[in-house]
Amino acid sequence: MNLLGKKERAQSWFDERFGISGIVKFLREKKIPQHKHSLWYYTGSAIMLFFVIQVITGFMLIFYYNPTLAEANKSVGRLMTEIPMGWIIRSIHSWSSSFMIAFAFIHLLSIWITKAYRRPRELTWMSGVFLLGVTLAFGFTGYLLPWDDLSLSATKVGTDIPRSIPIVGVWVTKLLRGGEDVTGDTLTRFFGFHVCILPVFIFILLAVHVYLIQKLGMSLPLAAERRKEKVKELPFWPNFVYRESVVWLILLGILFTVAIFLPPSLDKSADLMAPAPEGIRPEWYFLFLFQILKIFPAKILFINGDTVAILLILLAFILFFFLPLLDNKPSEKKGKFITFLAYVSIVFAVVMTVWSLL
Amino acid sequence: MKLKHSLFTRRQFLNGLFGGWLGALMVSFLYPVMKFVFPPTKEPDQVILHFSDFKDMKQNSVKVFSWGNKPGLVKKNKNGSYWAFVAVCTHLDCNVTYIPEQRKFFCACHDGWYDENGTNIGGPPPRPLRRLILIIRGEDLIIKREGVK
Repeated sequence: MNLLGKKERAQSWFDERFGISGIVKFLREKKIPQHKHSLWYYTGSAIMLFFVIQVITGFMLIFYYNPTLAEANKSVGRLMTEIPMGWIIRSIHSWSSSFMIAFAFIHLLSIWITKAYRRPRELTWMSGVFLLGVTLAFGFTGYLLPWDDLSLSATKVGTDIPRSIPIVGVWVTKLLRGGEDVTGDTLTRFFGFHVCILPVFIFILLAVHVYLIQKLGMSLPLAAERRKEKVKELPFWPNFVYRESVVWLILLGILFTVAIFLPPSLDKSADLMAPAPEGIRPEWYFLFLFQILKIFPAKILFINGDTVAILLILLAFILFFFLPLLDNKPSEKKGKFITFLAYVSIVFAVVMTVWSLL
Repeated sequence: MKLKHSLFTRRQFLNGLFGGWLGALMVSFLYPVMKFVFPPTKEPDQVILHFSDFKDMKQNSVKVFSWGNKPGLVKKNKNGSYWAFVAVCTHLDCNVTYIPEQRKFFCACHDGWYDENGTNIGGPPPRPLRRLILIIRGEDLIIKREGVK
């Protein structure tokens, strides 16, 4: 009896039950188009890399973190000072979240500009927008967990924002805070969102997103598709995976370098009765929203300025979600205008962010 | 009046009945869930503090007290009278502070300013700071919500 025969027998035993050979065959035959915009294909798997790092480091941080009013800040302090390697695990978790969000922005913008969301990939885009939303929610809830002055004020502002939305707003604020005000209950609730509720959502959305990408295949550049050109292709396995690994290793190197040299700080425990500290700021990815809220005047035609600002932001988000349906004539004038809007949004967000730092 | 044709089939009727029943069952589950998710948090009607803690305050200064989960500020005015405010910005809920030198309340979150009477005078705040009723009765400093007897 030879070993090879045994291995094949075991394989076919599992295949009979799992039917895995279909997936293996699919991955073997999967092809990645090669063209001048192929670089953007790597942004998706970069997000996935940082997501996996978040899951692993998140599991580790939970071992020592206490989500209570009295202990939260202390437990993070202990993690930073007493637990071997605690500081670097927290630093990687913190930096990797920024990298993940940065790549999510790049990924979405590249899809917007190359119009990869056009028919039949509208739902892939929409699931992606939801994924961005959940990712930002992860960032927002995670920011509170160390429970220092900065994170408390940022959470007070962030959870008060929905209040301006008519009818449902007040209830959203209450739901997020676990009451009228930000208290210890909010901290426990945010911990629950961060480690339990949001992960369920992100895994479901990720499954839908990845399934759609596999089902519909990679999008081709608009021009090549219109001229029905034959585009060069690269096998997914092993050629493309090798190239992705190179990108991953470079990103890992950058991540570990910044995580080692620039670990996140921890201020003294938040005091619910203390005034907001000067120079409060949300995470960098919310700075442009922060600046918009800051520059809106108190009243615009008898309506609260921040209500107007928040409703405009909400409207922009809805338009962004339905972008593939609005951009239904990609090669015509309308399509070009929508691409132009992508560049305008980038400039707007960068200007607002820089302004908020001045 | 008897219709010649029925408006829906027996199958549709039963599906509607069953579906409706299932929907109603779900809603009845939802009710306790929603009640659970939103805890009852009532603002206090009043808090009673020791006046002796506030007697020696300098004029044009403030002192913090707990107004439920929010900070409150007792302010001693130039003429020696006492006022009480909820020390929460009317813009987006940050805690405000009092700057005696400028005689203004300040919110650091989005640069909101109020004058010494709590009136919004600069930045994004849409409304004045909330005033509370302050009564000094013997040794007690009683702070009440407006409209509470």
